[in-house]
Amino acid sequence: MEEGVFSGDSANIHRWLSWAGVIFGLIAAVILVYALTRKPGWLNSPAAHWTLLIGLFLLPSVTMLLGNVVGFAAVKDSCGSCHTMDPWMADMKNPESKTLASRHYQNRWINEHACYTCHTGYGLSGNIQAKMGGLRHVIREYITGVPAEIKISRPFPQKTCLHCHAEAASFLKTEQHVDPPEIKEGIFSGKISCFLCHDPPHPR
Amino acid sequence: MSEEPARPALSQAETPAAPAPDPVPPATKSSRNIMRAALVFALFGLAVSMWHFLWPSELAFTAFMTIGQGSFGLAIVIYIWMIFRDLRRRKAL
Repeated sequence: MEEGVFSGDSANIHRWLSWAGVIFGLIAAVILVYALTRKPGWLNSPAAHWTLLIGLFLLPSVTMLLGNVVGFAAVKDSCGSCHTMDPWMADMKNPESKTLASRHYQNRWINEHACYTCHTGYGLSGNIQAKMGGLRHVIREYITGVPAEIKISRPFPQKTCLHCHAEAASFLKTEQHVDPPEIKEGIFSGKISCFLCHDPPHPR
Repeated sequence: MSEEPARPALSQAETPAAPAPDPVPPATKSSRNIMRAALVFALFGLAVSMWHFLWPSELAFTAFMTIGQGSFGLAIVIYIWMIFRDLRRRKAL
């Protein structure tokens, strides 16, 4: 039995939002077809103004907004769907692998959207950057071609690691993180990379 | 105190008429065609969004994000432009 929309299950909420988008979109489409089939003079009438405000602006805008929300949530798990990423996906699922990505994925330290969580900045700007980056990846995959060497487009921001690990008890009780205090400052300022001591995030 | 001489009453014909409001010219044929184009663009955007909602896939999402939203965005730009044109035509701006 499916749970209700207020169950807190994000997949369920997205399913409801998706159907809301379909309903709003269909109502808008019916209104637009109605407007298209009216006589030319109809566009001058006050009724036309209200009809277009609802059918051309309000309902489609809501539909597009819902499409963004639902679509963006749905593609968070699609990073491995291109063959380009096969080696990285294989490493993540390899029980023998010691890479950080593999350990985070296999131990469920990141419960869902493993790639997205580490490769997206936080906040609205992070979401927008991820969206633009995703579009660039799709364009490369389908149109311009994938570069011979796959590498991260910009240095991995240390604050992504620190978002979860900073001030965690396990982080603070590790002597190498906090003693001497300059080390901690270096880690927090990004001058000392986590990967200086820890295993690499992905196979080199 | 001198009495003010009575002014002769204006006849009905001499009464100054209020200026007649300018009639709003009907939308031109080109305006109507542009508006119909906006409707078609919006319909196309909605069709792509339906594809994305009902049969979600990476390709459908990409199409929605690019041509779907692009087409709808164009429809909205045209719609707003036509509103401004209409308001100018009615001398409201």
